[in-house]
Amino acid sequence: MVNIRLKKVTKAYRNFKALESISLEIRDKEYFIILGPTGAGKTTLLKIIAGLEKPDSGKIFFDGLDVTKKSPGERNLGFMFENYALFPHMTIYDNIAYSGRVHARDPQETKAIVDQVLMMTLLTGRNEAFPEEMSGGMKQRVALCRALMNLEQTKLLILDEPLKALDAGLRMSLRRELLLMAKSKELGLTVLHVTNEEQEAMMLADRIAIIDNGKLIQVGSPRDIYYHPKTLFVANFMSEINYFEGSCIKGCKPDWEIYKKSNRKDKFFEEIHRDSIPFPIDIGVKNLFAAYGDRQLYARCLNNEKILLVVRANHMNIRLGNRITQKNNALLGIIKRRKFMGVFYRFEISTRINKTEKILIVVIPASAEIHEKFKEGLEVTVYFPKELGIVFQHPGEKKIKEVMKLE
Amino acid sequence: MPTIELINITKTFDEGKVLAVDDISLKINDGEYVFLLGPSGCGKTTTLRMIAGLETPSKGEVLINGIDVEGIPPEDRDMGFIFQHFEIFEHLTVWENVTFGLEMRGMDDNYIIEKAENALKIVELLEYADEYPSIFGNPGMQKLGIARAIATGAKILIMDEPLGSLDPKVSKVFRHELRNLIKDLGLTAIHVTHNQEEAMAIADKIIVMRAGKILQMGSPYELYENPNSIFVANFLGETNFLQGFVLKLIDNETMKISIRLGGPKITCQNTDNRFELDDNIVIAFRNEDVYLFPEDYNFEESPYDWAQMQFFIAILETSRFIGATKRFYLTLDSGDNFLSVKPGNFEENFAPGEELLVGIHQNDIHVFKSPADLLNEISLT
Repeated sequence: MVNIRLKKVTKAYRNFKALESISLEIRDKEYFIILGPTGAGKTTLLKIIAGLEKPDSGKIFFDGLDVTKKSPGERNLGFMFENYALFPHMTIYDNIAYSGRVHARDPQETKAIVDQVLMMTLLTGRNEAFPEEMSGGMKQRVALCRALMNLEQTKLLILDEPLKALDAGLRMSLRRELLLMAKSKELGLTVLHVTNEEQEAMMLADRIAIIDNGKLIQVGSPRDIYYHPKTLFVANFMSEINYFEGSCIKGCKPDWEIYKKSNRKDKFFEEIHRDSIPFPIDIGVKNLFAAYGDRQLYARCLNNEKILLVVRANHMNIRLGNRITQKNNALLGIIKRRKFMGVFYRFEISTRINKTEKILIVVIPASAEIHEKFKEGLEVTVYFPKELGIVFQHPGEKKIKEVMKLE
Repeated sequence: MPTIELINITKTFDEGKVLAVDDISLKINDGEYVFLLGPSGCGKTTTLRMIAGLETPSKGEVLINGIDVEGIPPEDRDMGFIFQHFEIFEHLTVWENVTFGLEMRGMDDNYIIEKAENALKIVELLEYADEYPSIFGNPGMQKLGIARAIATGAKILIMDEPLGSLDPKVSKVFRHELRNLIKDLGLTAIHVTHNQEEAMAIADKIIVMRAGKILQMGSPYELYENPNSIFVANFLGETNFLQGFVLKLIDNETMKISIRLGGPKITCQNTDNRFELDDNIVIAFRNEDVYLFPEDYNFEESPYDWAQMQFFIAILETSRFIGATKRFYLTLDSGDNFLSVKPGNFEENFAPGEELLVGIHQNDIHVFKSPADLLNEISLT
């Protein structure tokens, strides 16, 4: 059993607050990802959990026991940090098998496990090489192999950006291996993994904790975080987004067209919008828009109060020509730019809101039809289903600018 | 109207012992945004440096606007340079960084002011003219680099991993901004990277290099839809590879293959009879081209164009929702595994362990001769 609980963990380096009162729980056999931009405090948090750093205040519990003052060795975990820390005088094989010697494991058994992890990381046949003969990507895989050696004893694997230096293809195949390994019933692992790549987090995690500037912003399943981001920062971090500054319109009658035309009834949306209600929103065009937002936020909102409507670029859709009257949440625009990106096409659509130009980003799966028909300069209708809009309290111009610039 | 042409360029180091670039020829058109893409050591940076005049070719010619530029130093080639680590003068203000090059060339003050103002306006940094560059994040630094290049009148931008030091999220946003800026200015740009996603997102044309040679060049669309090798298919986008052999030649255009011995049998193209009976082959298909159906799916009322599809059975290992897409990890009896990627809103209720019907359009299956070592072709570092 592995259950980790952090209670109000705080850490500062001189005047820099690295972590501010972080409380969270990592459950047994969970793949838990800590996600955030560079410098957010992710690695500090990991080091505190591993016992390599002591918090200034707060406590850490492993299976209910207070381990705040315990050394890494007493916490029984396997970890891999960003700077691989390989022994330069040892071959790949010896680097990986080292822990087997430390734990006095049977050499035959060690060899079997080493062979297995080498195969998993596509390093078979390279075991006699020395670290100085290897590329960054190879060193990284060797370090990962080493962390994987003790899983039977430790049950908790800690990974700090384990796939960072690898190229795209290899990263993809190793993500798959990590996922299958973590989900293997025999190993029964709990994994704690730090990354700044949202795709990696979504691909692997059972739950994701997002931290920014030393603060825990949101914890939830990939689905929760994607459909119900708590803040604009989280929404924007998980994919490209569009935002509209609008005002909340109160007192729409139940026969308002958006309430009437409830087009999507599937269970999925019912579930994700348990605590939500469609907001009538004036974004500065003729038709009222609608999107789901928190019930309590709607109750608190005054008529005409400023709100922020966010729509992910890949939740927007386009049709050729003017279809304004046939679609809800629709705007007329011109395709200003389009770019083939592989799985997707990315469009920049020039629209007008309140007589000023607004560029909307639309990302849709690539197809022959898109390739042949949706050319630059054409008129299109951009629209989105209200179930996929996200309504936030208006965070202020300054905050919007800060989040969207990401600097 | 800058065009750049390389004719039979070879570059060796260490007195001919190290072959970095091996007899390559290419042409870059005016206003084109071109990527040199490949794993480390493929020769892309050396190629870039020869275009820039920072290296001299051992053999061959570099033509800029049709003129052989041998012996012309970098500063006289009308180029702007942008590198991963900025090369911005931290002790000079933003304004001074932009005007520095112009002053060195002895331009008069009015000219300098006009050019610098215009350049900073274009990259939206004019309001920071009196600040020091340290106030910027990495995208700001690269924009300043672009402003500096435009101010000196450069028509060609030479960029070596310009997004390499950016946070992944920042890079994903800034790359579109970078492309738009360069396209709007009508600059010809050459951009070196090992990051295929970045190349796909930005490039007009991609030149894929490996071991000093050009493997393929074309638009991202051409390369993605018609990769000419296992390496390119694997390097651009996510591709599944399965090994097999030719079971039967059907006619001049098609053949039946078997995925390993006793595995699924698939009909695929055999254009120009490239393959013969019993040839060992590798089939490649994109994740997003793999359709999934329940085993008892009724095709009679299906909206899918299934007549040209090849079908076989696979077992679903696990699936993941990752936002814009859902990923399905599948295995065959042989132990081979592959991936299907569907849009995030794809509706299904498949369970792990379930047997699914897999459909792939015949046209979406690419066939290659089996290499001696497939692993070596598809593992890049």
